Amino acid sequence: MAIELGLNEEQSMLKTMARDFLATEAPKTFVRQMMDDEVGHSPELWQKMAELGWQGLVFPEEYGGAAMNFRDLTILCEEMGRAVMPGPFYSTVILVGLPILDFGTDEQKAEFLPKIANGEIVCTLAALEESGDLWADDLHFRALPRGDGYALSGTKMFVTDAKAADYMLVAARTRRTQDPEDGVTLFMVNANDFGIYIDNMTVMDLTRKQYEVRFTDVPVSASNIIGELHGGWPILQQIALKASAVLSAEMVGAGEMAMEMTVAYLKDRMQFGVVIGTFQALKHKAADMYAAMEYSRSLMEWAAECVKEDDRDAPMAVAMAKSYCGDAVKFVTDAGIQLHGGIGFTWDHDMHLYFKRGRYNDTTFGDSNYQKEWITRKLEANLM
Amino acid sequence: MVSSEPEKLEALREEVRAFLRENLPEKWGTPAYEPLEAGSEEQVALSKSFTKKLYDAGYTAFGVPAEYGGIERPREEIAVIREELRRQGTPMPFVGLGRLVVDTLLQWGTEEQKKRFLPPILRGEVYWIEGFSEPNAGSDLAGVQTTAVRDGDEWVINGQKCWTSGWDYGEWGFLLCRTDVNAPRHRNLGFFLFDCNTPGFSRRPLYQITAEAHAQYGELFFDDMRVPHENLVGEEGRGWYIAMTTLIAERGGGQVSAASGETGGMGLGLFGTRTIGGVDSLIELARKTKHYGQTAWDDSSFRRRIAQIAIENEAMRAYGMRLGKMIMSGSASGNEASMAKLTWTEQGKRRGDMVCEMIGAYSQLMRGDPRAVDNGDLVFSMLMSRGTTIFMGTSEICRNILSERILGLPRG
Repeated sequence: MAIELGLNEEQSMLKTMARDFLATEAPKTFVRQMMDDEVGHSPELWQKMAELGWQGLVFPEEYGGAAMNFRDLTILCEEMGRAVMPGPFYSTVILVGLPILDFGTDEQKAEFLPKIANGEIVCTLAALEESGDLWADDLHFRALPRGDGYALSGTKMFVTDAKAADYMLVAARTRRTQDPEDGVTLFMVNANDFGIYIDNMTVMDLTRKQYEVRFTDVPVSASNIIGELHGGWPILQQIALKASAVLSAEMVGAGEMAMEMTVAYLKDRMQFGVVIGTFQALKHKAADMYAAMEYSRSLMEWAAECVKEDDRDAPMAVAMAKSYCGDAVKFVTDAGIQLHGGIGFTWDHDMHLYFKRGRYNDTTFGDSNYQKEWITRKLEANLM
Repeated sequence: MVSSEPEKLEALREEVRAFLRENLPEKWGTPAYEPLEAGSEEQVALSKSFTKKLYDAGYTAFGVPAEYGGIERPREEIAVIREELRRQGTPMPFVGLGRLVVDTLLQWGTEEQKKRFLPPILRGEVYWIEGFSEPNAGSDLAGVQTTAVRDGDEWVINGQKCWTSGWDYGEWGFLLCRTDVNAPRHRNLGFFLFDCNTPGFSRRPLYQITAEAHAQYGELFFDDMRVPHENLVGEEGRGWYIAMTTLIAERGGGQVSAASGETGGMGLGLFGTRTIGGVDSLIELARKTKHYGQTAWDDSSFRRRIAQIAIENEAMRAYGMRLGKMIMSGSASGNEASMAKLTWTEQGKRRGDMVCEMIGAYSQLMRGDPRAVDNGDLVFSMLMSRGTTIFMGTSEICRNILSERILGLPRG
């Protein structure tokens, strides 16, 4: 099957529309306002996005969606990365909306997807615990049978947008066997239920809030299980796959913006009586930034296409994109601060927003280093 | 172009496989293959005849109109052919730098020049060499000092060129010369084609750090060499712009072989090396190489570096797909080739160094020592990679091009 990279006409229009909308509705003044806000979510903007059909972009029309595809969604997310867009779009749509669409029952889809699409609810995923890694053996959070349903107890960490969320998709252990990947179950839980306590985590990237969430004996109905009982782990892996492709798209948007800001500065800033962009030491770094972002974009587009087509190369393509984009965004935003000099190290300059978002995206669902280890195992398996 | 049906494409795939079974030398692509000496008579002859067979089978010369000897096939067929050739690590058609002449003449040549020079290049019959670099004009190529002076219907050429690959078996060459000593820089050059049998032309080897008995590069000397005016490409004084087309083709060309793990690419010559380029072979080497009590593959530092190479190969391939689309839509500037060149050559150095670290003490053994790993090819490639980041525009020149012509930073 032939994978096509680049944008078609419709996708170019989507990209332009998204960029224009975010420039008007989510300028840096707004971003900083949200950084200072404890919840970091603007219901007003959330509604405007819903009117444009963003939250339901890939949902079928019967659920109030626009029936577009995963590649289209990554175009939107790329622009959000470029704007270091705050708010729960990623948590709601990527971490919860997509798995409900992929694994939910007809009833569950009918219950949640239209509400996500029309901006009525915000959702998030509560999967990680003390280790901070998505690793089956580290998952201890318990769901014990209680009446017709279950009772949830334990602590989840690094839960994005928990304070804005109406629902949480919670990964819990329903049984422990020899295989740690067996016995994980996903529950849709009302975030306002009694027994749920949410604590702020003092995070570096303030455009993406994270929380520690404690559950004490929170009852949940069996009808709120997404997927099979004990069969939640493969769903979490699928969430990680799609989220990694989306995080890569955000890194491409963020990295390109950081590069463009830096190149503009090199053309403007005078020292020693000349524009500093004439110095080869700086110019060559800019060239390396450009190459890093071009290859990032290439791998990200390939990965997104593979996911969209459900291609068998998708896991490898996504791991490669995630690894390369992670290294690239770290390099480009580091160079971005360095080439800006002192001003780049100030709170008021926007470069650190990109630097910090890059770090969030790289770390989440496995950083560049972890991806490489995964890739070597896969390459070895392919050889045998 | 009509798209072919799946069955026809499968039949073509079988046809290519059968062709390769029949025509590739025995043991090709395995460590047991004994390569011929690069640049030796036997190697050149084998390469030429193989190229002719590829051409006659219709597996090469794509992208060139049929009237100039090109082969036109539906896109899907070309994709199948390339995939199969790559799978076997098939050497690239042996046209040497003739491929650059094809690209250059397609853009700048007269109808006569295209009809005369292109078909023999594509059939692998005539090997071409490049006369760009000079002892005093390396990165500053526009500063070439070889002169061409008009004398009636002829040009009289005097000077010296260096770093010419295939210097000894080249049959025709192209040259960048100064045609006007008074005209401003970049507007004072001419681009000429010359027959290597012309009186006044001589050549000698230029030995490199790779310690080969047979020099792959040479120096060319012109002592009142007379070239007919019809061999001037484009207009007098426009040579710089024509040479840019050639350089873009040259820098872009290497990417294909690096990303696909093909060998026998530019400068190395066909059948002169084993296939040692791909990630699979790196993994195999790491798994069989013991390194302080464990295999190199068990050492996470090697594993991660191999993963990085695998990722970069896919990045180059995916970028190539995007670039192809950009070229078709007219949004590519040609300067992108500098990025490809920068990436695959810098990667080559890291790859070479990593392999040498893996084999430890054996990284000191050169070709010719019976104890050397893979007959010394790994060490040879590591040394050779030092040249790749210099030839066809150094890494630094590539970065200048990217930052100035793509990012728009000012010239210093």
